[in-house]
Amino acid sequence: MSFLSISDATKSFGANTVVKGFDLAIQKGEFVSFLGPSGCGKTTVLRMIAGFETPTTGKVMIDGRDVTQLAPNKRRIGMVFQSYALFPNMNVFGNIAFGLKVAGLSKTETEDRVQEMLKLIGLEHLAARYPYEMSGGQQQRVALARALAPRPQVLLLDEPLSALDAKIRVSLREEIRDIQRKLGITTVFVTHDQEEAMSISDRMVVMNSGRADQIGSPAEIYNRPSTSFVAGFVGTLNILKAKVTDLAQRQVFVGGKTIVLNERIKSSDSNLLLALRPEALSLTPSARQDVAVEGTVSHVNFMGSVIRIRMDVDGEKIVFDMFNTPHLTPPTIGQRALAHFSSADVFEITA
Amino acid sequence: MKRSIPILPAITAIVAASYFLVPLFATFYFSLKMTRGTLSFASYQSVFQSDEFLATLGYSTLASLAAIVMGAVIIVPTAYWVRLKLPKLRPLVEFISLLPLIIPAVVLVFGYIRLFGSNSYLPMTSTDHGTNLLLVFGYVIMSMPYMYRAVDNGMAAIDISTLTEAAQSLGASRLRTIATVIFPNVRASIIAGSFLTFSISLGEFVLPSLLNRPAFGPYLVQLGQDRAYEPAALAIMSFGFTWGCMVLMQAFANKKPGQGVLPRLPFLSRKERRA
Amino acid sequence: MTMTPTAVSGEDHAATPGPRLRSTFGWSWLGVVPFFVFAFLFLIGPLLYLILGAFQNSDGAFTFDNIVALGGANIVASFSLSIRLSLLSAAMGAIAGLLLGHAVVLGGLPKWVRNAFMTFSGVASNFAGVPLAFAFIATLGRLGLVTVLLRDLFGINLYAAGFNLFSFFGLALVYLYFQLPLMLLIITPALDGLKSEWREAAEILGATRRQYWQMVGLPVLTPSILGCFLLLFANAFGTLATVYALMGSGFDVVPIVLFQQIRGNVLYNPNLGYALAVGMISIMALTNILYLLLRRRAERWQK
Repeated sequence: MSFLSISDATKSFGANTVVKGFDLAIQKGEFVSFLGPSGCGKTTVLRMIAGFETPTTGKVMIDGRDVTQLAPNKRRIGMVFQSYALFPNMNVFGNIAFGLKVAGLSKTETEDRVQEMLKLIGLEHLAARYPYEMSGGQQQRVALARALAPRPQVLLLDEPLSALDAKIRVSLREEIRDIQRKLGITTVFVTHDQEEAMSISDRMVVMNSGRADQIGSPAEIYNRPSTSFVAGFVGTLNILKAKVTDLAQRQVFVGGKTIVLNERIKSSDSNLLLALRPEALSLTPSARQDVAVEGTVSHVNFMGSVIRIRMDVDGEKIVFDMFNTPHLTPPTIGQRALAHFSSADVFEITA
Repeated sequence: MKRSIPILPAITAIVAASYFLVPLFATFYFSLKMTRGTLSFASYQSVFQSDEFLATLGYSTLASLAAIVMGAVIIVPTAYWVRLKLPKLRPLVEFISLLPLIIPAVVLVFGYIRLFGSNSYLPMTSTDHGTNLLLVFGYVIMSMPYMYRAVDNGMAAIDISTLTEAAQSLGASRLRTIATVIFPNVRASIIAGSFLTFSISLGEFVLPSLLNRPAFGPYLVQLGQDRAYEPAALAIMSFGFTWGCMVLMQAFANKKPGQGVLPRLPFLSRKERRA
Repeated sequence: MTMTPTAVSGEDHAATPGPRLRSTFGWSWLGVVPFFVFAFLFLIGPLLYLILGAFQNSDGAFTFDNIVALGGANIVASFSLSIRLSLLSAAMGAIAGLLLGHAVVLGGLPKWVRNAFMTFSGVASNFAGVPLAFAFIATLGRLGLVTVLLRDLFGINLYAAGFNLFSFFGLALVYLYFQLPLMLLIITPALDGLKSEWREAAEILGATRRQYWQMVGLPVLTPSILGCFLLLFANAFGTLATVYALMGSGFDVVPIVLFQQIRGNVLYNPNLGYALAVGMISIMALTNILYLLLRRRAERWQK
């Protein structure tokens, strides 16, 4: 039995349907991310869980209880906002204590709990600061502590890292994950950053125009995207043109060679598109790389530990990285080169 | 958190709207009753037939226009200069320009009468021209908070110092920078401030009354004491006039630079650019 | 309007800074000289003159007599009347404006309602003086439309019930016509500044609407409300034309008393006039200081 479930939820604003038939069941203690471009409906689903939106149809259940019509302040949910949304007229202590005060906790209980929370986020020394006196990262940690202080059943994070600098973004996401693991709290995290979603989640929901395109672990989603949208949105993809040689035997012709695909061919005509992750390609073949395509090197970007190479292959641009070593001579622009890959790493993608 | 029908806000809005609209309707209705037994625009006709009405309105219009020009001439360069060169003076300039908001007009004009009276160093009130000028200056002071706000906001919106630097790096002299870059961009704000000034000074009572000027405000008061229906007609017209000023002001305040409200303005700015 | 650039350039010519070193504090201050000269001549100067005059007798010798004369029963009564009227009308305007602002900005009404009220307020906040007095006489005067309608249709006789437009409360009701729109205009930016996330954050933390307003909404708005209240107070305190048009010269608010003094309709003593003016300036100054102090307290959580 799942702890938090959304079943067949739809949300329309007037004629505009932003969430369509959304189904999701989340286990207790699980960390689930909603990933998708802006306007895909991920925030609307989050706000349905919070109670700020009522689904047009469908149900939201928390811990076996139907909360679809329940007001937000009755749901025992913690939420962290992109803009921090700390109360500007209260200091850190006051902000964290807010939920405890409205819950009617005694003064000593409140103080103890706030101290505990301050310790959890490592900001014990800033209890008297006002929001304007803190950095964005500090404010967002306080917002997290404020959300967690009343011991919510579910924690919702609405793009909590988007307003922060790149460096803080990485360190804070690790901190959030650590705290979540420590408390074992069921968490939903909304983001448009695929790297963030993959690095932090137990499971991801990739959303596209109001629907959940794919739900799965980060590895599943990255390695076996179920739709071309997912494949394109998560990670970088290289596209190769190929021809079907034998539909029944799943044989296609690419790179001067006939290879066998892992899955059934979906394309209805003889042309099809094959997709490859950048890390499946290299200039120097390894033992399992059995196919190669030829192209012209168009860009060589030296990035330190890796070198990013772009090649034109039959009018398609492909990108891949090679690791830097002290003795390596990178290819030169305009040079013809072979990009090697394994036929086992290729998957078909529909346009 | 039901968002279906906001009952309480709707009731509040309706109550407020009636408080605002009922007096206007009552006044309008009253203004139509001059001819016994029927509703007519007789009171409006009567107003327009009065020479004094036209004379005082003309006088006040002139004084208000003069105040607008003076105000713009004093405030626009100051706001620009303070933003560009003397940001440290900004709190002081802002304080002074907002001061008239809390200084009652009657106090101000009392100071004028004493300071510029017939036996002072600058006896402005001893000639008609001097007194007229003093009236205009008074209006400039009274409308300064609004003019300064409007112009300063307009300048804040276009990042005056970057624009100036950009123009100068392209070789424009400062004079040309101001005439062809800054002014066209804040023109809308100046016009917005001008309409506010106009609506404040046109029917103003205290200053002309104590300076003995034949202006529209004192005429209105006098008429209010002497007649019954004409004042109502004037009240409606003055409300309509203020409304017109506000609508024009908002049209200009919300206008983006280069997009014309009046057809004349884009033409002007094109000419300036070519010059 | 076309004069403006010429004026700018003329002044600018004098102020064009030379090489960089000189310009740090060289000649750039010249650019603001016209403004300061004008403000000194026609704003600061007259006020200073009045303040100095308040401490002189008719021969120019220093004296406290005029200030002492402010303690006379009539003048104290005037100030008291003015302050009470201004406080009442500012309070009414502030509360009504806040309620209306809450309704049209945060109440979830259609956008056009808000726009209509804002445009109307721009007009009504400038609709003072004589026309306003006429409008209320036509509405709530003894023969006003509402008075007559209430009497004829519902049998309610307002004036018999104790209402009088030409009274303290009647005047406060008239003032509301420009105070309420002014409040709406100046409080709206503050209401817009209340982030919806604050309300949502409070709500998801278990707070009721009421708790949100008590603990977050109102405290955040307090500095703005204080500022608006002060402006409304000053606005009412200096109002002369509306009172004059409605009540004639018999209603002794301070501006009317001073007006009468200047007109010479009563026994004329310029130095007492100065004292009256200084009294008004002092009240404005005091309100401002009070406001600044209160705002400091209310804004301790701001930059």
